[in-house]
Amino acid sequence: MTGDEETMARLMRAAQRGDRQAYAVLLEQAAKWLRRYFQKRTAREKLGDLVQEVLMAVHAKRATYDPSRPFYPWLAAIARYRWIDHLRAEYRVQEQELFDDIPGDENAEEVVMARISLDRLFAQLPPAQAAAIELVKIEGYSVAEASQRCGQSQSLVKVNVHRGLKKLAAIIEKAS
Amino acid sequence: MDDATQALIAGIAADATPVRPINRMRGLAMVGLAFLLTEIVVLFALGARQGLMSGQVSVFFVVVNGLLLILGLSCIAAVVTMASPQVGANHDGPKWAMAMAGVLPLAGLLAATGAGVNGHLHVQGAHCMYLGLAASLLVGAALFVWLRRGAPVSPRLAGLYLGAGAGALGSVANGMACSDESIAHLGIWHVASVVIAALIGRYGVSRWLRW
Repeated sequence: MTGDEETMARLMRAAQRGDRQAYAVLLEQAAKWLRRYFQKRTAREKLGDLVQEVLMAVHAKRATYDPSRPFYPWLAAIARYRWIDHLRAEYRVQEQELFDDIPGDENAEEVVMARISLDRLFAQLPPAQAAAIELVKIEGYSVAEASQRCGQSQSLVKVNVHRGLKKLAAIIEKAS
Repeated sequence: MDDATQALIAGIAADATPVRPINRMRGLAMVGLAFLLTEIVVLFALGARQGLMSGQVSVFFVVVNGLLLILGLSCIAAVVTMASPQVGANHDGPKWAMAMAGVLPLAGLLAATGAGVNGHLHVQGAHCMYLGLAASLLVGAALFVWLRRGAPVSPRLAGLYLGAGAGALGSVANGMACSDESIAHLGIWHVASVVIAALIGRYGVSRWLRW
């Protein structure tokens, strides 16, 4: 269970004033939320690193949170930005097992959360680009293996990964 | 939660010093001041064009500088907002303003290649392009500083808007001193500086906006 929007916004405002206790609570709640946010779109062994990278980014850029605006869309924008950076980095995972889909808490903010989710971002890619990124950048297959699995030529897989990441970077703030 | 994340949170929280939250009005004021200073320098250095103070200016002067001013303001508003990222934010406004201003060079080219009374395009008019670029520096620097303090998540788009906005306001500032009122001159040389500044922002400055 993570903090609701109102609580998180209040904690963030306190954190900006230098309240360390509020900041620690906020970061713990944010870390839980980020794990859930990334879990379906990130390889298991990279999840911890990614969450920590986002927390450090939140800390470095905490002044950019506008207290008059909601907290989670701000956090999600930073999370998406770091996630795309992460996808760009070259890596190959040994384990390809991803976390199972854990159902989220049903509450009044579900619609908002759905709008800012990574799935929603990913859904805006053409299927061929999404498949190429999923196989190569998230599940860690080589280009040759991904080519066999999705039926695209190796050069097309590379092109689709490149174009897909470029498109994702351009639509980070898009909600739908 | 794993131990590494717990330790990181403890370390970060211990470092929680007060910060001043971002404020759009402060950003707009900073850029506004930069534009005002630029205009004063331009008018002091080059002198106001004839008829500026008495309102005796051509329709082309009003249309070109008016459209460039709208383009500049829309880009600046977007850039200032982009410093504070938000899923759901929409930064499409400047694209429409760019499309609108894109009519100007077309009109300029038509006039320059046609036989109409406004078909005067002198190569010497290129100095307005250089002056427009020079006049865009201060506004561009203010926007750059603002974005570096912020957290733009679309650096390429932010760079494009930064360049186009600074270029448009620089061109407007220079326009107050330029005495050539032909659409060929205004539509080509005064817009060329905006295009060049936008390209510099998109392909040069944007790499410095990553964080």
